[in-house]
Amino acid sequence: MLKHKPLYQAMQQAVSQTLENMAFTEVLEHFDPDYEIPATELVWTSLLISDPVQGEIRLAMSKTLLENLTATIFALELEEISPAQSKDIINELLNTIAGLFMTKLLEDDQSYAIGLPHTGEGALPKLEETSIAWKLMTADEEPLQLFAVGTSLVALNASAE
Amino acid sequence: MKRIIIADDSATARMFIRRCLEIIGLSDAEYVEVENGKEALAAAKEKMPDILLTDLNMPVMDGETLLKWVKASPKLCELPVIVITSAGNPAKEAQLLKLGARQVINKPVSPPVMLKALQDFLDN
Repeated sequence: MLKHKPLYQAMQQAVSQTLENMAFTEVLEHFDPDYEIPATELVWTSLLISDPVQGEIRLAMSKTLLENLTATIFALELEEISPAQSKDIINELLNTIAGLFMTKLLEDDQSYAIGLPHTGEGALPKLEETSIAWKLMTADEEPLQLFAVGTSLVALNASAE
Repeated sequence: MKRIIIADDSATARMFIRRCLEIIGLSDAEYVEVENGKEALAAAKEKMPDILLTDLNMPVMDGETLLKWVKASPKLCELPVIVITSAGNPAKEAQLLKLGARQVINKPVSPPVMLKALQDFLDN
């Protein structure tokens, strides 16, 4: 049986560490656990986890938050930001979060494999019943959400040792 | 002047790495930024760098394959390779060190971590 640490905490720690280190941004639990990012404000990206479990992790946030993060990280004014830079930022954030998440989740002697992030278009894909969501926000109350999808990945949440 | 190759498909990541290197004292280095392992190999063969920093997850040629190619090349085998990755943990680190990586650093990078990893390189 795969040994691992609590899944929910691993993701919370990974998100906090990434946003604080890369963008000096504190992340909190959203005050509304059912909050949905309006479609007009939504940007998102996803990557696949292929080993030792199979699943997908999606990162969604408001366009406002992404623009602010991009401006902070690249030290630019908002009007100087390009779409390519914003796309790269959200992908690199997910890449970093996913790696930290898997490192925190698994035991030290367990290697893993994650794919490359791909930005999504339009609405987020419908979640499976078993999916896990992290509804978060910044200190400025800008929403940031993560989703873990995939039976074997999500099953770790129920069987933490 | 030191020549440094940074291989990562993310412009953000390359910027972070370069910023850390400049902060720890390498602001005068010649930087070559590439998006995958194949471009890194080409740049290294064109003019031997002093150090190569590479991500693992890249399209076309990933960092592990790049490391294997570098260590198998008579011309490049002595090139110090630092792996900077989001996909690392102690198991992966051990595997990469066995393949010949000088150091493995986990993202997100920071100047203190970079300084510690490159201290002997800076001293030389």
